[in-house]
Order: sequence, then C-alpha cells, then structure tokens
Amino acid sequence: MKRSFTTLTDATLITAVVQSGYGEIITNALLDVGIEGSTIHAAMGVGIRERLGALGVAVDAEREVVSVMVSSDEVDRVFERIFLAGKLDIPGSGFMYATPLLQAATYVPPSIVSKYVG
Amino acid sequence: MAKRNSIRFGDYIQAMSVDSQRVPFLELMPEPLFDRHGNEHPQPVPKMKLGGGDVVKLLQPYFSTRFMDQARAVVPLAAYLALFQYIVLQTPVIDAAIIAGGLLAVMVGLMMFMEGLKLGLMPFGEVIGNTLPRKLPLAGVLTIAFLLGIGVTFAEPAIGALQVAGSLVDPVQAPYLFTLLNDRSGTTVLLVGLGVGLAAVLGTVRFLRGWSLKPLIFITLTPTLILSVIAFFNEDLTTIVGLAWDCGAVTTGPVTVPLVLALGIGVASAAGKGADSSLSGFGIVTLASVFPILGVLCLSFYTAYTVPAEEIIARAAEIRLAAEAAASQPNWFEVTPWTEVILGVRAIVPLVIFLAIILFIVLREKMKNAFITNYGIILAVLGMCIFNIGLTYGLAKLGDQSGGLIAGAFESIDTIAASPLYSFSVGVGIAALFAWVLGFGSTLAEPALNALGMTVQNLTNGAFKKSMLMGAVAFGVAIGIMLGVLKLIFDFHIMYILIPGYTIGLILTLLSTEEFVNVGWDSAGVTTGPVTVPLVLAMGLGFGNALGSVEGFGILAAASICPIVAVLTLGLYVQFKVKREERRLALAEEGGTA
Repeated sequence: MKRSFTTLTDATLITAVVQSGYGEIITNALLDVGIEGSTIHAAMGVGIRERLGALGVAVDAEREVVSVMVSSDEVDRVFERIFLAGKLDIPGSGFMYATPLLQAATYVPPSIVSKYVG
Repeated sequence: MAKRNSIRFGDYIQAMSVDSQRVPFLELMPEPLFDRHGNEHPQPVPKMKLGGGDVVKLLQPYFSTRFMDQARAVVPLAAYLALFQYIVLQTPVIDAAIIAGGLLAVMVGLMMFMEGLKLGLMPFGEVIGNTLPRKLPLAGVLTIAFLLGIGVTFAEPAIGALQVAGSLVDPVQAPYLFTLLNDRSGTTVLLVGLGVGLAAVLGTVRFLRGWSLKPLIFITLTPTLILSVIAFFNEDLTTIVGLAWDCGAVTTGPVTVPLVLALGIGVASAAGKGADSSLSGFGIVTLASVFPILGVLCLSFYTAYTVPAEEIIARAAEIRLAAEAAASQPNWFEVTPWTEVILGVRAIVPLVIFLAIILFIVLREKMKNAFITNYGIILAVLGMCIFNIGLTYGLAKLGDQSGGLIAGAFESIDTIAASPLYSFSVGVGIAALFAWVLGFGSTLAEPALNALGMTVQNLTNGAFKKSMLMGAVAFGVAIGIMLGVLKLIFDFHIMYILIPGYTIGLILTLLSTEEFVNVGWDSAGVTTGPVTVPLVLAMGLGFGNALGSVEGFGILAAASICPIVAVLTLGLYVQFKVKREERRLALAEEGGTA
C-alpha cells in the first residue's frame, strides 16, 4: 500500500506552565469539551518564590507544562478554558501562551481527507 | 456532518464567558539598569506587591488542598467509629466536643508537619544524600546513616502513641511491659532507633552491593522469631512480645522512610549503582520494621535479667504516687498543652540539629533557600506539637473509648447499662466485623499505599494492577486487625498468629521472585501511618482493658504480617497467570508454524 501523509494547517499550540497537580485538572477540563491529545511534562520553575517573599511558601516550585494543539479558530475559547481550569488568575500560579504552528501532522480520518482531495 | 470551515461568530461569543483586556508584556518586565559604561548591571528581583484579595486567593488553595489530604484520612475513620458506636452499640460518643477538637488538631498538626517535612527536612536529606558519599569514605557515610536512623525514630509522630499507650498498662500484671513503656520508655525508643539505624546501614550496603532481599529477611527474622519464642515461654516476658512486634509497625512512618531512603539512594547513585533498578527503593522499610523488634526484645531480656519484677512494681507505685502528687500540684511542663509541646520540640529539634551539624560542619555545604527551609522546620515543630495534643485528646481518646465499648457487644461492662447488647456469638461477630472494616477502610485511605500501588503497576508492566495491590494489602490488614481483636477476645497469645503467619510468609518468600518479595514485605510497613497507628493501638488497649486482658498490644503486629502473606500470594498467582499465558502463546505459535 502506498503511504501518504496529510499536513494540517491553521493549527496553534497552547502551552501552559502551571503548579504541579494542575496539569491533570487542565487536561480533564479539556477532555470535558472533547479536546484530547494534551501532553504533560514535569518541570522545575525558578524565581516566583523570590518575587513573592514570605508568601512564596504557598507556591510550588515543581511545575507541569501542558501543551495542546488546537485549531487556530478556537484558540481563544481553549485558551480561556485552560486559564480558568489552571487558576492562572492567582499570583504565582503560572503562565501560558499560544504559538502559531507552521504545519502539523497526525492521523487524519480518510473521510475528512477525501473532502479536501480534488 | 456538514463541511465545517468556520465557527459562527455568535456561537463563539457565547462560549467565551470572561472579560478580557490587553496589556503589553513590557509592563511585567523590570526596567534594565545600566552603569555609566553602558553595561547592564545586576538588580534584585522586584518584589511583587499583592492586595488582600490576591493574598487570600493565593493562600486558600494552599491550605485547602493540604488540609483535605489529611481530612480524607481522618474524617471517614472517625465518622465510622462514631457511627458504629452510636448505631450498633447504642452509646453516644462521650466528650464528643473534646474529641472533635482533638481530631481537628490531628488534621491541622499533620498538615503542618507534612508540609514542614517537605520544605524543611527533606531538602536536608537530599543535599546530604547527594554530597555525603562524595565527601566521606563509606564507613563515615554508614555511621551517619546509623545516627540518622536513631534521630528519625524520635521524630516519628506515631512513636508518641506508644508512650500514651504505656500509661494504660497495669504494673502488677505485666511489670516488664510497664517499665519498658513508662520509666524506661526513652531506652525503649532508643533501642527502636538503634534498630532503624542498623536497618539504614544494612539497607544502604544492600543498595551498593545489590544484595537480594530474600536472605536478609531470613537472616534477620530467624533470630527475632527465636527470641520471641523464648520470651513467650518466659513467664515475665510473655507480655512483651506483642509490644515488640508492634514497635516494628510504628517505626516506618512519614519521617523515617523518605529521609533514610534519600540517603540510601544518594549513596547508591554516587557509586554509580543508582537508578538501574526501580527496586532500589525497596527493602529498607522491611529491615526497619524487623530490627526494632529485635532491639526491643533484647532490651526486655536485659531488663529481665538485671531488674527483678518486685523492684519494678515498687517503683511503679512510686511513679503512681509521684504522678498523683504531680496531678494535684503540677509543674507547668506537666500540664497539657505544655507536655505535648515539649514532646514535639524534643522529637524534631535534635534531628534538625543533627542534620544541620552534618550539613554545615561535616560537609561545609550551604543551604539554598534558607528562608523556606527555616519556615519548614518551624512548621514541622509546630505541627508535631499540635499533632501530639490531637493525639492525646482525639485519636487516643476515641480509640480507647470505641475499644472499651465494643466489648459491650458480647460482655457485660460498666459503661453500657444494657450490656451485653447481643448474644456472645453475635457480639463477637460484630466486633470482628467492626475490626475488619476498620482495617480495610483505614488502609485504603493511606496515601503511601497509593504511591506503592503505582510503583508496582509500573514495575510489573501492568500485570499487577494498582487496585489489585491496594485491595490485597487492605484485605491483609483487615484480616490482621480482626485476628488481633479476636486474640484479645479469646485471650490467646500473639505468637499463635505470628508463628504461622511468618512461617507462611517465609515459605512464600522462597517461592516468589525478587520483585514481589521486595514489594510484599514493604507493603506491611507502608500501611501503618500516623493516623492508623495511634487509633488502632488505643483501640486495642481500650478493648483489652474492658475485657480485663493483661495487654492490648499485638494488633498492629498481626496487621503487619497478613498483608505480606496476601501480597505474596497474589504475586504468585499473577506470576502463574503470566507464565500460563506465555505457555499458551508459545503453544499457539508452534501450532501456527507446524
């Protein structure tokens, strides 16, 4: 069988760096609205404890990096969802960003590919 | 579905629920400072100024998640005991308000202690574990491991429960048990600590040399069992056996295991032996539960040969008189909460000083983040003090009360007018069932078990599921506690549980693979956390007192061996299943090629 691959366009990567333990909360919040394929990495953060002074004890230096690829049309919606689920409105809890992707690829169901062929 | 190129703007706006503003990131960046040559010169991290609302938002999840961790372990257990007492024994909880306050103190204390442990003591352990093996020869490292073993034993929250339990022992019936827990309690804890220290040394050497755990189990358990049998036939010492075996369960708590492990793993990785086997973390827990038993047994023999029983009884009377005199006119340090505070400080501060001496004087290292570490240490001390208060007024009181009342199910006791509430066989059945559910529930709530379950699942590539291990351990503990309670009811000696239990355990050890031996023997230590131990100890003693038996120890000991047997048995079954599957596949393949 001849193999081929499909390039996906209009994709954006959302990355959130959150306190450890929130990674799973975020991925679950995304799963609730049918967005799968999130990745969680363990990481170590530096600096926020120094900035917060005595209150820094309440912030976990161990971090989780959640990344998920979404359609560029839906960035704002998912971005907001992650922000709320990760409680990023608390000082020191983390940050997130969205980066446009040049191209992306994964398994695409043939039924969808056929819509764009010819 | 129709071809979808875009989302309707109206739908999109509806899905967005929060106001948003746009601010350039520049606002968050510090302004660079330049000296007159145009070079950027360093500046301190700008402090973030927070309003009151933000401080609350920051601290609220910090406290609530940590508090909930403890509440999840304590509340269901306490509710179970209270409801059982209310519904089945038809007696309301006496001093309910005091006990509720005590339990709250336990939760707050444990919350603070665990956080303090993580922030204050663990960094010491990690730094020492990483640098010590590089700076000192092996003998020096082992000496420090040994001393650390002693130090952590005194810092273990559950060890205070032993002393609380000691005041309930009758000196005339069990003189040596009394003296070991009262005027010689310091020596007893020291011997337990020596045992843990020895275990730390042996465990570290085992990491380095990659020894198998199996022969170590046989070598350490055989003398322990033999000494127990000798003590069993000795009229004076027969009451000690239960206490000695209970001590093994007490030692392996939230302070000992991580600190000793950090050191051991540090040594192993410095020698280039670390991380090659995920099993390297196991085994120390097992050794740390066996050696203290040996230590306490030796101490009891020594005491028995040097001090006659009459002298102890005489001294017990003196102690009692002194206690009564003290009760009428107590010194400030003999009243609560000061006794508990002193106990708490005495438990943590020496350990911290010891760690600090090693770090600053022996290793000449500096501590990063000194503020956080100091905060952690203060938190650990405060937490320990509050936990001790909670231990006296919450866990010990509730356990003692429930234990004392449960006897009313089948025997006539003073506290319940209508006792016996049920016929003997039904009552004993109720008591046994009560103990079983208590063991099962409290074990499943233990956070350490969850972690062990995860490790085991990864270790066996999913053949041994996490839920299976947790179930097996909880089932084992439940059976153990039930046997322990039945031991008190029918007044048989703890050796009748220990000898068959450990014999089966040793036979299963011979048959099992190294992985399961490690996991199985460690699972026993894992199950006995700082909430379960005092509660079960106090329940056993209260129950024993209500029944008029000499000593209520031994329940924890029984709860240690049963999960070992359960996990090893399940391990053998899993092994058998995997082998059968492999054979089936091999056969199918042969059939396919033929």
